[in-house]
Amino acid sequence: MAVYEGYEAANEHMLIVAKACAAAAAKAPTLTGKLGLRMEILTGEDLEPMIQVLETLGKTSAFQLHDATAYRAYKNDGVLPPVLLLGADLTQPPLWNCGGCGFPTCGEYLKYVSKNKGVGIGAYGPSCLWKVIDLGIACDHACACAAQHRAEARIMFSMGAVSMFLGRLEGCSFLLGLPIGPVGQNRWFDRMPWTKVINYEQRMMTQLSGAPNLFFAFSGGGKPILKTKPRWWEEPTFMKVEKDEAFMEAMARGQADVYEKIMKYRGVLDDEDVPDKKD
Amino acid sequence: MSRIHVNEWPLYSPSDQNKKENVLLVARLMVNAAMTAPFTGGVQDCEAEIAHGQMELEKIAREMERLAHQEAPKKLNKPFLYEAAMVRESDAVVFMGNFRARNTPMDAGCGLCGGEPDCSFFYERVSHLNGVVDPTDRKRSTAINGPLCMLRAHDLGYAVGSAMWIASTHFVDAKPCYSVGLAGRNLDFCMNSEVVVGILIAVAAKNPYADIPPEYHLTNMTNMVDGLRKIAVITRQVPNHPYMVFDPTRKSGDQDEKEEE
Repeated sequence: MAVYEGYEAANEHMLIVAKACAAAAAKAPTLTGKLGLRMEILTGEDLEPMIQVLETLGKTSAFQLHDATAYRAYKNDGVLPPVLLLGADLTQPPLWNCGGCGFPTCGEYLKYVSKNKGVGIGAYGPSCLWKVIDLGIACDHACACAAQHRAEARIMFSMGAVSMFLGRLEGCSFLLGLPIGPVGQNRWFDRMPWTKVINYEQRMMTQLSGAPNLFFAFSGGGKPILKTKPRWWEEPTFMKVEKDEAFMEAMARGQADVYEKIMKYRGVLDDEDVPDKKD
Repeated sequence: MSRIHVNEWPLYSPSDQNKKENVLLVARLMVNAAMTAPFTGGVQDCEAEIAHGQMELEKIAREMERLAHQEAPKKLNKPFLYEAAMVRESDAVVFMGNFRARNTPMDAGCGLCGGEPDCSFFYERVSHLNGVVDPTDRKRSTAINGPLCMLRAHDLGYAVGSAMWIASTHFVDAKPCYSVGLAGRNLDFCMNSEVVVGILIAVAAKNPYADIPPEYHLTNMTNMVDGLRKIAVITRQVPNHPYMVFDPTRKSGDQDEKEEE
C-alpha cells in the first residue's frame, strides 16, 4: 500500500511517456527506408550543460533565452522533464538523384559533402531533402505520442542544437530535443517563468521590429512615421536602415562565449572532471 | 436507401464505393491533423490535396509509370512501377506539399542546406531580389528544383507524420511515397509546392502496401484477376457439352433415355 502525491507521480510518469515516444518514433514510416534514426533520453543533471549553454546563447538571442529560462525555472522547481533527443545523419542520400539539395546528382552532392561539410547555428549540412523529411516524420510521431498521452511537450531546435554541440549522439548531423513534461497546462507556451524576463516595453518593441507595417502612419509622403507611442504625431519617430556594429560585436562575443563553454564541457566530458559551473 | 453495405470486392462496386466514402472521411481528418502538426516557429508552410475516384487515381498511376521509364534513375524503376500498382489498389491519395521550402526560406542560418552559419548556400543558387526569391521561372533540370530551405522541408515530415498517425489510429493502411508525390506535383496537385509527398491510403483485409512479391507491377492481384478472366473464357470452350441432354458425370449412352426407364 502506498499513497503517491499526484503531481509528483505524474511528473515521474513523464519518463515512461518519453520511452513511449521513442517507441513511436522508431515505428514511424519513412520515405527512404534508411533514416538511421538515433535517440537518447536525457534527465536531471545530464541536462545542466545544455541549460548552461542555452543561457549563454540567450545573452544575444531571445529564442534561446526563452527556452533557457523555462528549463532553469523547471529545474529550480524540481520538475525538470526528461528530454528525448532525436537525430540522424542526414548527409547519406538514398541515391534518387532528385536534385532537391541543389546538386544535379547524389554523386555530385556526396563529392561536395566530403570536402565542404560544415555547420550552421544548429545543424551540419548540406542535407539530403528526403532524409530531412524522414527525420520530420519520426519527430512528429514522438510529438503525436506525447500528445496522445496528454503530456506537455514541444519539439525544440535549440535543445537539439546545444546537445549536438555538446557531443550527444555523435555522428548525427541534426538533432532535435523533445522535453516531455512537466505536467500542467501550456508549460512550453505562454510560459510563466518568461513573465519576469522581459517587460511590457520590450514585448512591444519585439512586436514593432517583427511587424513594423502594423505601426506605420500614412506612407504617401515617402517617409512614414513609425508610431511608437500613444501621441505618435508629437516628436514623430521614423524607421532607419543602418549597420549596427555594436550589436554585431556583441553577437560575436556571445558566439565566442558559447564556443568557450561548449569546449569546456566537452573537455570536461573527456577528462571525467567535475564541471566548473562558475561563469 | 436505408442500408449501407460494405465490401472491398469487387473494386468500385457500390459496396466498395461505400467503403471508399469512409476512407475519404479519414483522408479529410488526416489533412486536418497535418495542418496542426508542429511546424518550425509555428509558421504554416504545408498544403494538402486529396485525390479519389478511379479515373483520378489512374492518371496518377500512369504519370508514375511514365516517370519510372523516362525520368527516374534506374534503381527507382521498380519501386515507381510497384507503387503505381498500389495506387490502383488504393481508396484515395493524400498529397502534402511544402510551399515555402523553395520560395520563402526560414532565413535562420541553421546550416541544414549547406553547412554554413548563414543562408548563403541557398541564396547563391537561386534567383532572388535582395532575398526575395523569384518563383516565376519554373523550368527544372532535375526532378526537384533545388536547393531548398531544408528547415522548411523538415516541416513537411511533421505534416506527413501527423497524417500517417491519424491513418493508423483509424486502422487505415497508409504509405508515404516519393513517386506518388512527384507524379502528383507534375499533375498540379499541391501546385504551390516544389516538394510533394503522396500518401496512399486504403482499407482492406490485406495491407496493399506490405508483402510485395517480385515484379509486382505485373504480378499484382488486378493482373491475376484479369488473367483469370482471359483464360477462363478460353478454357470453358474445351470441356463444353449440351448440358440439357448430356451429363458427363454419368458413364455412357443416351442419358435422356436411361433417365426415362
